Amino acid sequence: MLDIRGLSLTLGEFSLDGVDMTVGDGEYFIVLGPTGAGKTILLETIAGIYTPKTGTIILDGREITRTDPKDRGIGMVYQDFMLFPHLTVEENIGFGLRQQKVEPGRIREQVAETAELLGIGHLLERTPGTLSGGEQQRAAIARALVLQPRVLLLDEPLSALDTITRDRLRRELRAIHQATGTTVVHITHHFEDIFALADRVAVMQDGTIVQAGTPDEVFRRPATEFVAAFTGMENVFCGVSKILDGEGAIDLGAITIRAGACAPGDVCAGIRPEEVIVSRESFESSAVNVFPGTVTEIRENGMFSRVIVDTGLPFVAVLTRQSVARLHLTEGGPAYITFKASAVHVFKR
Amino acid sequence: MALNRSTLPRPSAFKAVFLAIAFGLIAYMVVVIVGLVLYPPLPALIASLTSPEILFAVRLSLITSAISTALCAVTAVPIAYSLARFSFPGRKIANTIFDIPLALPPLVAGVALLIFYGPSKFGQMLAATGLDIIYTPVGIIIAQFFVNLPYMVRVTRSAFETINPRYEYVARTLGCTEWGTFRQVTLPLARSGIAAGLVITWSKSIGEFGAVLMLAGATQMKTETLPIALFLNMSTGDLDLAIAASVILIVISIASLTIFERYGGGRGVF
Repeated sequence: MLDIRGLSLTLGEFSLDGVDMTVGDGEYFIVLGPTGAGKTILLETIAGIYTPKTGTIILDGREITRTDPKDRGIGMVYQDFMLFPHLTVEENIGFGLRQQKVEPGRIREQVAETAELLGIGHLLERTPGTLSGGEQQRAAIARALVLQPRVLLLDEPLSALDTITRDRLRRELRAIHQATGTTVVHITHHFEDIFALADRVAVMQDGTIVQAGTPDEVFRRPATEFVAAFTGMENVFCGVSKILDGEGAIDLGAITIRAGACAPGDVCAGIRPEEVIVSRESFESSAVNVFPGTVTEIRENGMFSRVIVDTGLPFVAVLTRQSVARLHLTEGGPAYITFKASAVHVFKR
Repeated sequence: MALNRSTLPRPSAFKAVFLAIAFGLIAYMVVVIVGLVLYPPLPALIASLTSPEILFAVRLSLITSAISTALCAVTAVPIAYSLARFSFPGRKIANTIFDIPLALPPLVAGVALLIFYGPSKFGQMLAATGLDIIYTPVGIIIAQFFVNLPYMVRVTRSAFETINPRYEYVARTLGCTEWGTFRQVTLPLARSGIAAGLVITWSKSIGEFGAVLMLAGATQMKTETLPIALFLNMSTGDLDLAIAASVILIVISIASLTIFERYGGGRGVF
């Protein structure tokens, strides 16, 4: 288990500010955050490149906050591969084993085995410069994996690749993780990575972890306005909440919406597009938020259409294309939106 | 034919003027330098090239420049790496200090060295131990080292700066010590930059005159390097020997420049 407590460090314009994070054995843990959130520094500090100003890193019950990187048993893979250009792929993958003075025959065996796992067995004689991006990233992962690290750190491992290669390598990462059972900490700013790979996810902002949990928890119940905006909660509006008839009501200016439990004061409210129901007529239901409006935009996006209904505030709803046709929705035409009070996620400002 | 002519790009007046100036000056430089080489009759040049005095100067220049270049390399590598990678208080000042000898006339550096190894406290201590620096071949090495170290530091520093430190980070996570990382990753990646630095430093040591003149003096057949031989023979009017020394220096410069351009590609030296 990797246990990080109160990790702080400042490096130029980047910083970590009291990072708390626990990664279980064999877990695939994703850290999500925008550029500049301090994600790479976090990984490099876990790897031992930087010594934190305060805080502790405990790996399998042993404190390693100040342990030399070479003695941590933590592997690191960068977005831009960082394969040693003066060595062949085989020498790159065998680099770590050579440091351990493993006997050359054994090195060759283990390198071949790991290369096979990553599907680059036929590239061992080549130099990194002659490989494609996907091949280089496989070689970089093999170089870290061959040492059977206790934790594998992946710094945006898929970002430098084209879409097709990225999708394929993403599936392979999942397979490798299942095959080896290695604990993985993977940082990214792509949501797809989370749904495809993560057991748990942490959202990082301005050098701290603002929320951690299963992907479902984080996406369903974003803890802050930032997480909501970042994880794709599209209908985020800010206003003042008060208690009305024992229920929360939020005055958003143009309209007032009902929310479940909420404290009075300045808040932001988020409603996922999937939870906004669009209809031609208003209808009786358990949902208390019903507003008339005008369809201002219908954008087709694969199987689904994004429909924007202006009720004084623009609400984004996601409908199937069939529903759009069945309801005869047209741009400029009338529509009602309906959503439950419990679908309103409230964040304090 | 007419078609061919019309498809040739017609240079604009701007381009024509600039190119004319460039080619004019190139011609001027070539004529001046080749003129020097061709000035003495060939047999006289060969006789001078093989004269004992020139042979001595060549030998002394090669030995002293080899030693001072080696010393420059050994000290410049850790200095350059520190300046490129480590943050420490006074790093900006350190960078400036290493640049001072680049701007300083070598004569001034030579005088400073002469004072330091001569009448200063340190110089007197050295003299007490019986170690002679001034007006000796050791003085030549010290003068060359002092003046040329900054060049070596500059080229090596820029070689290290172009290496992404993440290569080193990865090596560390793969079980390398800091020393091991430097030897197995950093140095091989900086190899061509360091080689370029060695060439430029060596060629500058061979040609170093001012600082050597001040610290080691100009004693015939004792501290007579190639530039000193050139200077001594010019002042005694022995033009053939002076030209012989120049020719060797020209060959060395052109050769080292070629190697530098090939391996040092665009590293800011001057």
